[in-house]
Amino acid sequence: MKKWPLITTIANDVNNSKTTAVELVEESLRLIDQNQEYGAIISVLKDKALERAKFIDSEIKSGKNMGRLAGVPFIAKDNILTIGSETTAASNILKGFIAPYQSTAIEKLESEGAICVAKANLDAFGHGGSTENSDFMVTKNPYDKTRVAGGSSGGSAASVVLGLAPFALGTDTGGSIRQPASFTGCIGLKPSYGLVSRSGVIAMASSTDVVGPLTANVSDCALVLDVIAGKDPLDSTTIDRQSGSYEDIDDNIKGRKIGLIKEYLSDSLDEEIKQAINKTTLKLKSAGAEIIEVSIPSLDYALAVYYILCSAELSSNLSRYDGQRFGYSDKTAVNLSESYFKSRAKGFGTEAKRRIMIGTYVLSSGYYDAYYRKAQLVRTKIIQDFHEVFKQVDFLIGPVTPTTAFKIGEKSDPLSMYLSDIMTVGVSLAGIPAISIPMERENGLPIGLQLMTKQRKDKELLGLARKVEELI
Amino acid sequence: MAKLSDKEILELAKLAELELTSEELQKIPGELNSILDYVAILDKVDVKNLEPTYQVTGLNNVQRDDLKIDYKLNKEIMMSDLPDKAEDQIKVKRMIA
Amino acid sequence: MEKLSKYLYKGYLPTIGIECHVQLKTETKLFSGIDNDARDAKPNTLVSHICFGLPGSLPVLNEKAISLAVKAAFALNVRPQIDSHFDRKHYFYPDLPKGYQITQFEAPIILGGNVKIKLSDSVKDIGITRAHLEEDAGKSTHKEGKDYSLVDLNRAGTPLLEIVSEPDMHSSEEAKAYAHELYLLMKYADVSDANLFYGNMRFDVNVSVSKDQNKLGTRSETKNLNSFRSVEKAVDYEIKRQVDLLEKGGQIIQETRGWNDAKQKTFSQRSKEEAHDYRYFPEPDIPPTKLDNNFINSIEATMPVMPEEWRNILKPLNLDPSSEDLLIDAEVEDANINYLPVIEKFIDSKEALKKVTNWLINIEIPLRRDNPEVKALSTKERVDYYQKIYDLNETGSLNSNRAKDLIEDILKSDAPITDIEKYASDKGYIQVSDESEITEIVRQVLADNEKATNDLKNGETKVIGFLIGQIMKQSQGKANPAIAQKIINQLIKL
Repeated sequence: MKKWPLITTIANDVNNSKTTAVELVEESLRLIDQNQEYGAIISVLKDKALERAKFIDSEIKSGKNMGRLAGVPFIAKDNILTIGSETTAASNILKGFIAPYQSTAIEKLESEGAICVAKANLDAFGHGGSTENSDFMVTKNPYDKTRVAGGSSGGSAASVVLGLAPFALGTDTGGSIRQPASFTGCIGLKPSYGLVSRSGVIAMASSTDVVGPLTANVSDCALVLDVIAGKDPLDSTTIDRQSGSYEDIDDNIKGRKIGLIKEYLSDSLDEEIKQAINKTTLKLKSAGAEIIEVSIPSLDYALAVYYILCSAELSSNLSRYDGQRFGYSDKTAVNLSESYFKSRAKGFGTEAKRRIMIGTYVLSSGYYDAYYRKAQLVRTKIIQDFHEVFKQVDFLIGPVTPTTAFKIGEKSDPLSMYLSDIMTVGVSLAGIPAISIPMERENGLPIGLQLMTKQRKDKELLGLARKVEELI
Repeated sequence: MAKLSDKEILELAKLAELELTSEELQKIPGELNSILDYVAILDKVDVKNLEPTYQVTGLNNVQRDDLKIDYKLNKEIMMSDLPDKAEDQIKVKRMIA
Repeated sequence: MEKLSKYLYKGYLPTIGIECHVQLKTETKLFSGIDNDARDAKPNTLVSHICFGLPGSLPVLNEKAISLAVKAAFALNVRPQIDSHFDRKHYFYPDLPKGYQITQFEAPIILGGNVKIKLSDSVKDIGITRAHLEEDAGKSTHKEGKDYSLVDLNRAGTPLLEIVSEPDMHSSEEAKAYAHELYLLMKYADVSDANLFYGNMRFDVNVSVSKDQNKLGTRSETKNLNSFRSVEKAVDYEIKRQVDLLEKGGQIIQETRGWNDAKQKTFSQRSKEEAHDYRYFPEPDIPPTKLDNNFINSIEATMPVMPEEWRNILKPLNLDPSSEDLLIDAEVEDANINYLPVIEKFIDSKEALKKVTNWLINIEIPLRRDNPEVKALSTKERVDYYQKIYDLNETGSLNSNRAKDLIEDILKSDAPITDIEKYASDKGYIQVSDESEITEIVRQVLADNEKATNDLKNGETKVIGFLIGQIMKQSQGKANPAIAQKIINQLIKL
């Protein structure tokens, strides 16, 4: 597991010609090659990355500053479009699809000199919490190859922990950045909904999808967020940045009120996670924070609401994969209708089909009010409850998952898999920012602590994260 | 809440333009029903006086000017991604008899 | 209450509602910054990743579509809704790239309104149920004998306003008049180019018949009619088809029908049983629209004079209905040519107004229709020309025939004619009113026509016409006939 210097240091060294982008990219490519057994990477952008690295080096040689991420290799989840390269969302239906445009997030990273070296594995279209639903391979946990790396951004999380690159991009719809970060022991930030553009990001559930960084430390996380955050004319749901830089964070927590969510500390929570949280809580207390136990009763419904809304939106978002304009198209079909049915039947995996079916059902005439609309109403209740609790506290903390990384193949029925999202989906429904940060552990598997705060207070959240990082 | 019959499952699949394998037909009905059983916990939630939340940003009126935009799209790639084409058009199985 | 008995066909009351898709006049598409004018474009040249529905593409709403919808609301005689939003409507078809159409289902931008239609003997209000914004689909072609279809997505994403009427019409005349009035409203409000040839307006007519006037029959929907005449004919055909079927003991099924223009017949396309479950839900990629009252008011303030107001302005002229329609229609045939503001300028003088209106209706409008190459004139130019022509005509130096010649010259001339009077005089259009000059000609004509002169002297006044004719001929039409007559009288001492 390679440990990279701080991203700022790397970029400075590149800009000052102490190292070269080509060396960094070659190092990254070597590590990717050496760690294939983990199944973290779907495709490597070797030629493009080296070409870009050479260009950056030559610009620097001619006296230019190539930006805050100059020459820094990174890995993008393969549901984020990279122009001119294959982007598959880990689904057979997109195998061979070459992206004809660039996602905004990648565009922004490249404009600061970063270099995308590879595309990371995921549960196909983001449907899952273990990366076992990838149509191509399972990503293994760097700490225990018999266990999952989490998901759906499992490839991104494993890449960062293995040190394949200094940082990775993931997407989080119901916990897909936080949960794998927790399972693998890296930092995973789900920014406020709308803070990072979704343009060029393959949609799962449009109203909760968000792009975020996975990094080895909070400083890197803040830097990457600072580069990718902000309004995008290509995404109508993007929101304004907070003023100033996201790197400019205040980690003073004296007198800050931190709410410990009661509902997340139930009996079903693993004992070791409970203990890790208690330990961290004590440390926060001794650092001057006030810890208050709070209750958000409607969170008990969050998972049900999430699975209805998410399935509804994704069933709609997956309608465009029909075999007519891109991706897999069944050649045995004899007529148009067959072409649709067969392309979708063979292109989508079972999990995508299952979710499309649920989503189609909850939107269908006669069931819309009972499921879809009802879920949106309960969502309002959840948001109101978050709103209420943030009148009492500045932050919320809790576990990310009820258990540590489970065994590959352990969760065979879909509902038990869905239940592992139970502590992350509430945040997604409310659109508030949350981060998973590794806690101290003794010879066991990584355990993440989830920190949450009000919508559009991502900078404050990073402040608390840095404090936690320092205390642990 | 309702239990889905096999017939309804097939209708649903048709509506979603999906063909299910015989294996999927074995598994999916039970799985869907257990998921629907689970989400039935929402039945008891009191939502009086609440409005649905479709979007969380609170944004309104996000619009662009009526001007052409250069999207930096590589149209050659876009056209070469087409499974089949003819005369610069998307070629599909015949739509009408 | 409206008297319904006059509409009965073999004892059945026909009822008609119309849905009309109006293509909005924007530079770019509804959700992407791509040229909206697909008329002469090669296939798939006016497309982006958004039009193609590629993974990761997101719609961004064109503000012009909103302001045009607000204009349309006022044209339909109603204020737009403050709150509206887009929904997704799902179905699979190769010309629908995303597998759903972005439309307004739950909260359209226009609710209510009405259209006043002009019938041969009356005026009637047709209610508007709603009007909503949505994106158009692509265009597909199916070549004879091939096992494939071709799809061009240039048109995909073009902004449409779908206007849905109440089932307030009961005859093909009313349906046609409604379609025509809607066309005028969209043209006058400058919401659409409303070019029917290019499919800028497409009508779907819902027709049902019933013996019980308090109960609607089962309806058929004939889709995609693109002329007023086909609206009229399709309605007539459907009324007759349905009544005949019922009379024979048959049953009407709710279905979608098409219109075969060559055969002048509707034909069945698909029945209700095959209808889709569209699974509408609010579009999560587009924040809702919340109109500001100041914005609505500012658009209301720019609304032009609409056809109904023009008809009221024209009323005192007592034009025959076809002339009035001609003027109202001609006004929007070319965006650069406006006749009605000219009429407005002459409104204070009834005499002048009558003449100018007459010239417009009988000379300029027909001439422009026959000669599309005739260049446009600004309202000011047109007012100035007509003012001068009117003055010349009024003082007697330009007779009506010459006035017509002059108007035609002005319109057809390549270079603008700046000095009308000089031009008319050079062209010999100006009548000679100089008595000494005319006296000379009269003397000559009297001398040349001895017999007629003698007859006149003997009191046979009917030869005066002949003599005046000779004088006009001699003067090449320039002599003012009234003055010539006066001089004859003086010379013969009648």
